[in-house]
Amino acid sequence: MGRKKSSAASGLAALLILCVASLVLFTVYVKEGDCEREGQCGPLHTVQLGAAEVLQPLRSVFSTVFAPVTNTGQRLMSAFDNSEEQRLKDKLAKAEARAAEASRLARENAQLRGLLKGQRAYYDYGPLAQVVAPVGDQFTQRIIINVGTEDGVEPNRPVVIGSSTLVGRTTEVSRHTAQVMLLTDQMFAAGVRIVPPAKFNPASSEISPAVTQGGTSYGQGLLGTDLEGYLGVDLVSTSARAEQGDYIVTSGRAGDKELLFPPGLYIGKVESVSSQDIDQFKKIVVEPAMNPQDLEEVRVITDWAGRNG
Amino acid sequence: MEQASVVRAALMVAVAALLDAVIVPYLTFGYFSPRLTLIAVVFAASPLRDLQAVLLGFFGGVLLDALGGDLFGVGTLGGLLAAALSARASSVRHKGTERVILAQIAGLAVAGYDLLGYTARWLAGLGVPQLGEYAVWGILPDAAINALIAFLIGGWLLNVVNVKVPHSWE
Repeated sequence: MGRKKSSAASGLAALLILCVASLVLFTVYVKEGDCEREGQCGPLHTVQLGAAEVLQPLRSVFSTVFAPVTNTGQRLMSAFDNSEEQRLKDKLAKAEARAAEASRLARENAQLRGLLKGQRAYYDYGPLAQVVAPVGDQFTQRIIINVGTEDGVEPNRPVVIGSSTLVGRTTEVSRHTAQVMLLTDQMFAAGVRIVPPAKFNPASSEISPAVTQGGTSYGQGLLGTDLEGYLGVDLVSTSARAEQGDYIVTSGRAGDKELLFPPGLYIGKVESVSSQDIDQFKKIVVEPAMNPQDLEEVRVITDWAGRNG
Repeated sequence: MEQASVVRAALMVAVAALLDAVIVPYLTFGYFSPRLTLIAVVFAASPLRDLQAVLLGFFGGVLLDALGGDLFGVGTLGGLLAAALSARASSVRHKGTERVILAQIAGLAVAGYDLLGYTARWLAGLGVPQLGEYAVWGILPDAAINALIAFLIGGWLLNVVNVKVPHSWE
């Protein structure tokens, strides 16, 4: 009996001590901040990076094993999501869009050629990276890719598919792996510009000079995902131009700080625009060009012209 | 006669933490994801003495934090919570009902872990949904489904932890 009481007392004491230790670990981890620069990671972040490095082969194996399951799940979900009415509406919308998109086919063709080519004149790319596995919890949208510091990849670098379709940015980078925060993650933010289709070419990332110099006020704002999971652009003035179907591209603006993204990276299209009289800003929902489930190969932009302002 | 093996318990928790890091991201749907480490801690800690149970919970939590990419400290607190609840429940359980009771404890531990994760994200200045909405659509289903998973695999987990020792007259 006495032994049992002693065990309970020592258990309680250990519980209290370890709870305090856990709180200390949490505080230290948060204080460490993200690994902004190589070699400046705190000990707890370093432990997680090391674990990611060690687990990479295992994750690759499971990624291959789970691929058919994931694809089947997606097909099932899409089958249940689409009611007959929705399917017909989609069909009609597609037919209408096909006519309107005819003139853009040449541009898309050029974009596809760019995807195959995979290089642009004024971006420095890291090597082509395979997506190893998703990572994180229910609140995050992150993946691990198989390139790291040895491939010239650093934290806070844009990650793209093809030549300039933005996927996200690197966060924590180890020697052979990097964690990528997808643009659908709630913590992701980027300064963006809203440009009409006639003024932007996704294949070349060229924005018409009229957008930056003309009299029309094109919308600019902050891209982010809200807590309900909608990707949108905030802080766009109600007087600024923004219409359904417009392109969303990075603006590359960050005041006097080092630019996090080069201008002209393609993000997606405006799905809807709404505002009420009392609103100060427009409510803009964005349809991203990338689908997190479809990511297989990506590329990290390691440097670009004018990065340091 | 059965006796709990601390080594087996620790191995089981370590394997669960590994599976949590490698497989669970594929099984996460909305706010739900299987919490294999917490379930393993609950079942592994139940036959152990209080001090052993608490240390095992901390060990499992540290592994969960180190192998995952989430906020460090949340897993350790969650592991401690799971172990403490399991140790308390083991003092009142009856033979034959332990799987049901431990499954409920696992559900409770998952709910506590979700709440800890929510609070930690809020304290760290990260985005969190409305608490009421998260409680209804996140914590409750997560706890219920994990309790069900714990009930389904609990018997096997208990068999792994407990080893048969021969009677002295055998």
